[in-house]
Amino acid sequence: MTDVDGEEVRLTMPATPQLLRVARLTAAGLAGRLGFSVDEIEDVKIAVDELCFALVGSKGRPGSLTLTYRLGNHALIIDGEGVFTSVVGESPAPSELSAQILAAVVDEHEFTRDGNTMRFRLVKRRLVA
Amino acid sequence: MTLDRSDKEALMRTFEAFASNRDPALRDQLIEAHLGLAEYLARRFANRGEPLDDLVQVASLGLVKAVERFDPERGLEFTTFATPTIVGELKRHFRDKGWAVRVPRRVQELHLRVTRVIDDLATEFGRSPTVQEIAHRAGTTEDEVVEAIDAGSAYRSASLDAGRSDDDESPGLLGQLGEVDPELARAERRAALGPLISGLPEREQVMLYLRFYEGMTQSEIAKRLGISQMHVSRLLSRSLQQLRELAETPD
Repeated sequence: MTDVDGEEVRLTMPATPQLLRVARLTAAGLAGRLGFSVDEIEDVKIAVDELCFALVGSKGRPGSLTLTYRLGNHALIIDGEGVFTSVVGESPAPSELSAQILAAVVDEHEFTRDGNTMRFRLVKRRLVA
Repeated sequence: MTLDRSDKEALMRTFEAFASNRDPALRDQLIEAHLGLAEYLARRFANRGEPLDDLVQVASLGLVKAVERFDPERGLEFTTFATPTIVGELKRHFRDKGWAVRVPRRVQELHLRVTRVIDDLATEFGRSPTVQEIAHRAGTTEDEVVEAIDAGSAYRSASLDAGRSDDDESPGLLGQLGEVDPELARAERRAALGPLISGLPEREQVMLYLRFYEGMTQSEIAKRLGISQMHVSRLLSRSLQQLRELAETPD
């Protein structure tokens, strides 16, 4: 495997759930590049889905979503940032169930909100045999 | 399909006769007279990943239904009446086959091949294979493997009640999950995963429980339930999507 440590990929897209497939596919592609197993890749995809969905909601939000994928030593780190002109309704943090799902699929995850800006980070490490 | 006036009148008389005596010979005659319509409609669904012969069969089945249900008294042209029935049958065929109609055949085939390779390698290695390993075995590129894995999300055979797409004779996931269920007390599951999941079919709850509470990997669940890892992936992502939608709907 080529040395991928330190590579960084950034995606910016409108905050609509229809584009989350792109976020997922990118994550899967990069995880594959890191030598993750299929199960680990599925885990990353689930986590990206959960966290991105918490950011954009089921109907999308006015604003943009930026994802930064960092390839580390046997690890994939994904930072998400949603900058919105307005966020209507309840705080869209992941539910308790969602947190449980995330805990089962990735090594680290966090979700923060600062006014109309929301961020998440997830870290998935490859199991090194 | 062009029929001249006298043909049309002859057919209409045959329909009227069939409507009163339900003679199978007349029925066959009517079906034969309209096979061209079935084929014409089947062709409109060609190039979507299903062999034309199969589509013509499906369309013909729709035609048989249309002939049996057609009521000449209502003054409709038969073709006007039959077209939606035949198209409905074709659409249902695609739906039951699982593929959303738009997935290109190349990706479908790749998806099926990669699915098989993943399960083979998982058995061989006793662990989940990497993209590199899959690409090597399947004789394709790593990018194509990633694409094929993701194509699972376009696959709609997610209903647990439906038969498995790769084997129409199988009893469907419901039957297969039956053996696992007794081990998993409902109350325990609910306590673990919260009240939201009670909105999901019980069998999907089992899968969520195995994955997120028991910590089984998708490959392990696949092995335990005797289905492919890709299928587990599809079902899980569908359940999670439903959960998110449920969580968003204030009730």
